[in-house]
Amino acid sequence: MIANYLPLIVDGLADAALIFFVAVGLTLVFSVVRILNVAHGSFYAFGAYLSVVIGAIFAGRGWPLLSLTALVISPLLVALAFGPLIERTLLRWTYGRPEALQILVTFGLFLVLEDLQKLVFGVQPYSQDLPMQLLGTSRIGGIVYLNYQLLLIVLALVVGVSLRLLLKKSRIGKLISAVVADEELARTIGIDAPRVFMLAFSVGVFLAALGGALASPTIGVAPGLGAEIIVLAFAVAAIGGLGQIEGAALASILIGFTRVAAIYFAPEFQPVVPYLVMVAVLIVRPYGLFGSIGLRRI
Amino acid sequence: MTRFKIAATALLLAAGFGSAAAQTNKPAEIGFGIFTFTSGPAAAYGMPGRNAAELVIKQINASGGIGGVPVKPIYVDEGQGSAGVIAEFRRLASDSTNEVMIAALSSANCLALAPVAEQLQMPTFMWNCDTHQLFLKDRYKYVYRTNSSTVPEFIADVLYLLSVKPDFKKVAIIDPDYAFGRDAGLIFKETLKALKPDAEIVVELYPKLGSPSYNTEISRLVSAEPDVIFSNFWGADLENFVRQAAPRELFTRSTVILALGESALQHVGTVLPDGVIVGVIGDGYWLTPDAQRKPQTKAFVESYRQSFNEYPVFPSFKMANTLYAVKAVYEKAIATNKGRWPTRDDLVAAAKDLKVDTLTGTLVLREDNDGLVDQIVGVTKKDPAYPFPVMGEMVRYPATMVTPPVGADPIAWIKDLKPAIMASVPKPGSYK
Amino acid sequence: MVVRYTVILAVVAALLPIAVPWLGFVFTLAVGIGLAALGVAMLLRGGLISIGHALYFAVGAYAVAFLMRDAGIHDLLVLFAGATIITAAVGFLVGAFMVRYRAIFFAMLNLAISMVFFTLLSKLYYVTGGTDGLAVATPTVLGMQLSRGAFDVVMQNAALILMVAAALLIDRYLKSPLGEALGAIHTNEVRLEYLGVSARGVIWAAYTVSAGLAGLGGAITAVAIGHVVPELSYWTVSGQLVLVAVLGGIGGVPGAFIGAFFLELVRTFAVGIAGEVWNAIIGISLLIVIFFLPEGLYGLIQRLERRRTNPK
Repeated sequence: MIANYLPLIVDGLADAALIFFVAVGLTLVFSVVRILNVAHGSFYAFGAYLSVVIGAIFAGRGWPLLSLTALVISPLLVALAFGPLIERTLLRWTYGRPEALQILVTFGLFLVLEDLQKLVFGVQPYSQDLPMQLLGTSRIGGIVYLNYQLLLIVLALVVGVSLRLLLKKSRIGKLISAVVADEELARTIGIDAPRVFMLAFSVGVFLAALGGALASPTIGVAPGLGAEIIVLAFAVAAIGGLGQIEGAALASILIGFTRVAAIYFAPEFQPVVPYLVMVAVLIVRPYGLFGSIGLRRI
Repeated sequence: MTRFKIAATALLLAAGFGSAAAQTNKPAEIGFGIFTFTSGPAAAYGMPGRNAAELVIKQINASGGIGGVPVKPIYVDEGQGSAGVIAEFRRLASDSTNEVMIAALSSANCLALAPVAEQLQMPTFMWNCDTHQLFLKDRYKYVYRTNSSTVPEFIADVLYLLSVKPDFKKVAIIDPDYAFGRDAGLIFKETLKALKPDAEIVVELYPKLGSPSYNTEISRLVSAEPDVIFSNFWGADLENFVRQAAPRELFTRSTVILALGESALQHVGTVLPDGVIVGVIGDGYWLTPDAQRKPQTKAFVESYRQSFNEYPVFPSFKMANTLYAVKAVYEKAIATNKGRWPTRDDLVAAAKDLKVDTLTGTLVLREDNDGLVDQIVGVTKKDPAYPFPVMGEMVRYPATMVTPPVGADPIAWIKDLKPAIMASVPKPGSYK
Repeated sequence: MVVRYTVILAVVAALLPIAVPWLGFVFTLAVGIGLAALGVAMLLRGGLISIGHALYFAVGAYAVAFLMRDAGIHDLLVLFAGATIITAAVGFLVGAFMVRYRAIFFAMLNLAISMVFFTLLSKLYYVTGGTDGLAVATPTVLGMQLSRGAFDVVMQNAALILMVAAALLIDRYLKSPLGEALGAIHTNEVRLEYLGVSARGVIWAAYTVSAGLAGLGGAITAVAIGHVVPELSYWTVSGQLVLVAVLGGIGGVPGAFIGAFFLELVRTFAVGIAGEVWNAIIGISLLIVIFFLPEGLYGLIQRLERRRTNPK
């Protein structure tokens, strides 16, 4: 009976949607800038905190409906504040340097951002579920679902498709693709590669913060959020193939469903599942499901 | 000659003072290491504890301190993780002005700290953690629990459930995945098996402590269609769970027991319907008949509300009661010593068989250092006087009724319980 | 003697706690992390970055807990040896397929396995104690059960001796053919294969040794703290190990230990003074070192040393 599995499907897709936003940002940044950004999770956390704070401000002033806009305003602010700044200063310095150093620079950034988060927002847990409440519930097959979860699924589809279209059809997208394919050549024909990097990185930050903002009504926001999400995002990005948007989407769905299925059939192993899948996939296909020839040094 | 006389008098006086000082050798201040969560999801539970500590110590110092010596609290955040907590404990213990540790909140930290406290011979009063595993296999000289353990706490929940809802079939359990949650699951299941063998556990979930989201778990619970759901979530986990579960109709489709529910009533109680079974794992509720009868308690509640803008929840009482108990231990020891400042062993001797009047009832320390406290359970009930639900239809289960005796294996004792005891337990609403 | 600095560090670390006792605990933790970071530094020489080495740190720590609880072993040195061997064995097994990967994929796979271990440790409550972890009682020394205070002194000094011993051994290893080949893999792996040296074999050996080092580090940590928790296997610990290795400098063996002592001292003092910013302090220190001192603190010391002996 579909009705028995419907909760599983809705939960799985909603879970996948939230992971997708973060993973696709990570993989996009890797594809263009060639850096695995450990601090990506911190942007997720900032997006979540800021969304809660802005939502609380709107709610306090008696404009509860505007708390929904907080979900989009917050990631925009985070991207504007951090994107260009970090790319221009920290990341630019690391281009061309060994991978170990690049990862370490972003790890150092992660450490700094973790504390910045605590300084700005404090260490107490936050909660703002107004957007979730506003959208209400629907009853399908006798079980009550949050309309918010359904919204998440739709938004993830929209973002995924938009990104794909952006990269394939728009002028900016073509510039980005050119830089990804061959940076040197792109520069020689006059493409402003540094600009492209900055843009791509900022979009990545936006996506991570969007993930955080969209997650915030359904979760409790507390320190440690960034650390947990980044390792999951790594897993998903690696499974899908680093740099592959479709891969991130597929991997998110895979992980979303396996996690949810675990809660239904083997709850004791639910947290283990994403990493088991990651090990399994990487052993069979080290470049991920959609990844291609790797970076073996010759 | 005069100079000699002056010198001799001075010497005699000095000797006099010296021996008097040697007799009392009161320290200038005594340090209390106070361990609680002040960061992360657990802070929602830990901060009320810290607030109460600040209030009580301020009051104690305002009336002269303990035995005339002011108390200096040193707060340690359990949010830094067990390794950090243990390191802090060791560091504080190496300073001789610190005489007593009030630790800890989390069962995990209590289990980790107890052997360390014993090694360092540091009197430690566990103000909150209730895991019955603490005194299950080990005997301690310097470690005490000034509140109840998980065994009576969750037995009381089952008794209340059977009193208000004797007929049900399917039961679900959702607890945090660590000692406290696992203990609760075990004790609840065993008690249910003894008192209502035909009940069936359909789902058991142990999500990670501090998980931000329970949406999938809630779907799982709802799809299992249980008649009863038991949870000992606490802190932000409890608040998140309540917020996420309420719109999914969890509280209306099933009878839910929130064993530590009172601590969340002021923050999220408004989304709860009437009739949700809530507890205080002990007797620390500010609206009980006992709390309202005692003038000291009313004063405490009022000053807490004025300082922190909300009413004290049961973690606050656990902390306050512990501090008053420690004060009583000191006073008893000082009295026995006729004024000489007590050593650690004096404190241990004074704590033996201690019986103290607390803000909300009485506390008795048994020979195995565990605490005996009555258990209060009730249901949510809207009250026009407050913007949040209060506990109604309360029952006060006497400690001896629900606590296994010293040395008994708790699970074996539970297995021996008979359904017939339901006839003799107090009825809901009997605590007036 | 390049290892001279390790000896100096050990002597200082042995003497200071006489004046300030609780520093002994901090230094012991530093040795534990230093050993694990040394393992990471070895792999970094081969161009391989492991962001999952906390796995072996945790294996070593939990090995001590299990050996005490289930195998009834209580002697300190036997526990250390046992934990090191067990962890090296695990490294040997994992290394078998790990050696096929390079660069980012090596890093990712290590991370994945360490997170699998972390989640298993957290969930298998009845075996591993779950998120609460397991207690580690005070081990015996040469058959004697000492008081905790006396034991702490013995253990701290034992840790420092092990630090010096490990430094000597690994220094030898890195100067041996296997060790030099490791550096050659970083530069040009294919050329090495043409010379008839199996790149995989070289990496496998280094990986196993580095796992053993991390296991010993974890064992020391377990005994010092008296408690093991799943967080020992968390990715942020792996990150800290890489951080310590780079901060200290991978140019020489003492670097890992210098970095570890720096980290632990900063952590201890920062938590006391400015509890909310100690992560940021470490992070900024890391960035400073990366930007301005690419050879790490050890590289700085070496440069100063050279300038001292050859004043221009």
